[in-house]
Formats: sequence, C-alpha cells, structure tokens
Amino acid sequence: MSLPSKAFQRWLHGIAPNTSTADVCRFSGVKRTTLAQQLVRGKVAESSLVSISRAFDMNPFDALAQFEAYAALRGTPVLPTDAELVSQVSTMDLLRAVVERSGPRDGIPPLVLEETPHPSSVRNWVDAIDDGELRHRVSAATGIAPQNFSAHLTANRLPPELALATSRAAGVGPAGGLVASGLVTEAEAGWPPGARRDALDRMTEGELALLSGERLQALGKALRRHEHELDHTNRIWENLG
Amino acid sequence: MTTVLAWATLFICLTLTAIRIPSAVRGENRMMFVLFALISLDILLSIEGPYLLIDAWLGNFNLCNLLLRFMLYGTFLLMGIKVARAFGSPGGERAIGGPIGLAVLGATAVLTAFFFFSMDTSGSTVGLNDLDPGPALDIYAALGRFYPGYVAVCLIPGMWRSVRNPGPVLLRAASATLLLGLGLLIVSQVFPLIPLSNTWLRPLINYSAALAAALGLGGIWLSKTVARRTSRAVT
Repeated sequence: MSLPSKAFQRWLHGIAPNTSTADVCRFSGVKRTTLAQQLVRGKVAESSLVSISRAFDMNPFDALAQFEAYAALRGTPVLPTDAELVSQVSTMDLLRAVVERSGPRDGIPPLVLEETPHPSSVRNWVDAIDDGELRHRVSAATGIAPQNFSAHLTANRLPPELALATSRAAGVGPAGGLVASGLVTEAEAGWPPGARRDALDRMTEGELALLSGERLQALGKALRRHEHELDHTNRIWENLG
Repeated sequence: MTTVLAWATLFICLTLTAIRIPSAVRGENRMMFVLFALISLDILLSIEGPYLLIDAWLGNFNLCNLLLRFMLYGTFLLMGIKVARAFGSPGGERAIGGPIGLAVLGATAVLTAFFFFSMDTSGSTVGLNDLDPGPALDIYAALGRFYPGYVAVCLIPGMWRSVRNPGPVLLRAASATLLLGLGLLIVSQVFPLIPLSNTWLRPLINYSAALAAALGLGGIWLSKTVARRTSRAVT
C-alpha cells in the first residue's frame, strides 16, 4: 500500500503551498523522476512523504497520520513495551551492555546506544511482540504468504502497511514497526528520550545475558550463511570465471 | 534463418574465445579457453560451408561428422566436469568424470564409431542429411544427442540449487542461461518425435542450446569481472 496521489498532493499543498515540485524535490532529496512516477501511478511511497516532511520541519509521523490508511497513528501515542524497546537495541550494544554490567572499569566510555534501526531490527521487533501465533494472524489479516513475511524479516525490511498490520495483530502501539523498519526515528514516533536505555537497565543481568546470547547466536547463523554463499559464488568463479 | 543463427552462434563463441586469450596467456584457468575454442570448433564443423571444405580434405565420406561427434563428446566431458565442480555438485562430478561417467562416454563413443562405419557414408553432406535413412543412421544420431543429454541431466540438479540461492544477480542470470542451454539438450532427446514438417525445430533447438550455454559461461566470467571491478572501486 502507498499513499493516494490526490491525498498526497492535497497534503503537499497544505504544507508548501507556494513551492514547486522541483523545489520540493531539491529540499527533500527525493529524486524528481521518482516522485513524478509515483504521482502518475497514483501511489506515493511513504518514504517520499517522510523525506519531504523532514525537509519542511514537520514530524513525518504526524504527516503520515493525516492519511486515511494511517489513521491508527492518530490520538494519544501508545508507549512501546519494554520488549519492543530492547528489540531496537543493536546486538553489539547489547553485548556492550553485558560488558558494562559485569563491572565498571575505568577508561571505558559509558555506553551510548546507536540510532535506530539496527541490522536485525525488524526480525527482533517481530520476535519481541510475537506470542507464537503472530505470523499466522498477520498472514490471515493481510493475505501475505508466511514465507514472504519471513523474507521481509530476513532482508530486514518491512513495508509500512505490513508494519501497521503486524502491530495491530500483536496488540501493541502502531509505531514500533515503523521505527524498526527505519521509516521514522524513535523520537519522531514519540518514544520518550532514553526509553531504550531505561528498558535495557530494567533488565536483570540474567535476562540481558540470555537475550544477548540469543542475538549472538542469530548473528552467527546469519554470518555463516553469508560466508557460505560467498564460498559458493567464489567456487563458481574460480572454476568457470 | 538457421544459417544466420549458426553463424551468429559461431561469431559469439569466437568472440568469447578471443576474450579469454589474455587470461589464458597469463595462465588463469586455461581450461576455459580450451572449452570455448572447442565449442567454436564444434559449431564451425556443423555449418555447411566449413563442413564440406574439411570433409573434402578427409576423403569425402563424412568422416568430419564422426570427428564432430567425438569433439562434442570431449567438449561435454570437459564442460560437465568443470561445471559440476563449480556448482559444488560432487555427485554430478562423479557421474560425469567418475567410472560410471567414463564408461557411459566410452560405450557411446564405441557405438558411435561402430554405427558410423556400418553405414555407407560416401558423399559429403552436413549433418548426414542426404544419406539414406535407416535404423543405423537413427541410432547414430540418437547416440550423438544422448551423451550431451546425459551430462545435462547430471548437471541440472546442482545448478538449479544455485540459481535459486541468493548471490550476485548477474551470476544467477548467467547460471540460469547456462541451465536453459542444458535443458534444451534434454529436450533434444525427443527429436524423433518432432513431425517431419517441423524439422527446422531441430537446428533451432541445437543452436539455441549452444548459444545459451556459451552465453551462460561467458556471463559467469563477466559477473566475476564486474564483481572484481566494483570491489576494487570500493577499496
């Protein structure tokens, strides 16, 4: 799903009534041809809207909320759960947190979390809100085949409409998936500053160690798979290249 | 139409062979140069003009056709082993270069020669088209299609896995093209079932198979070169 051209143009006129499309593109860094194509097709990508609203100092989250399909974003923001917050801490930061907890040492600067999203943020977010039946419910609600849903998670991307459907199916706030997929930042989504860090600090040492272990395991598997693919490719090139 | 396709295939194969000359001189993967040269030669011998010329030197009794068969067997043995090894298919490599594979090749070669010399083959004619039809000629032709088909069957499972797995797009496309060529070789096994009114399909399938295989192999080389360039540009 994407935003209908008409509604988008009405919105654009509302925030920049006297700016030409060319200027809008120049300010926002959206390629002119890309936006023109999206307008002609009648489907404007959410990411274009986000770039343009940022260029005009407008919160992209609020901008999205003005569209019918994103009505769920309106109203009082639902705060993310602790599991969601921690899922948006990168694996390396989790490991650093383990080290930091194990005993304060001089000379090591205090941990400052990396910005969202991190390299496995989408899968970690879904895992954090999954009660075991989530994928099934998302697939029933949206019609997406489970293997396609998995492919998105593996590629660490999540189309905005799917992100929304997933949070709805999990019964959590609508912003989590948009943050995890990197469409909006945590601040834009209204997550309190330092919320991820606070959630991390609320974890016991055991919870933190276990979660880091799981993440490290998944990272190792992904790296092994990648190395395996590289080996395979190099073997072909070595023999036939 | 078929003549154009044949010459176009020859031209592309010669170009690919020429492209490999520098790396062959440097000593990188000389087998691929040999393989491309063999494919070019195979195509050359299957085109009427060159065929008649060379067959005239050999005594005008179509010995050139037998030579072409043996060269094709050699081409497929070489290509089969290289491709099976490249695509990480030890089963396929054994089935082609192992005892069973060599036995299949040996039997095919002996039978091919036997049926060739059992026929009256005087009078040069490309593809033996103008010889008197008979069971011996049919078997001879079937044997010529059989071995390439056998190699293709051995290679396809390993390659199919590779095409489906993630990897550089260009490499996957090239592998798929090569796979298409191999698939056509299997299709060529049913040539006797093609009605006589549609015999033009046979050279079309043959040359398309050769073209797809050559382009696939060339594409794999290209994907390697492109990947090297980009990684060099990054670092």
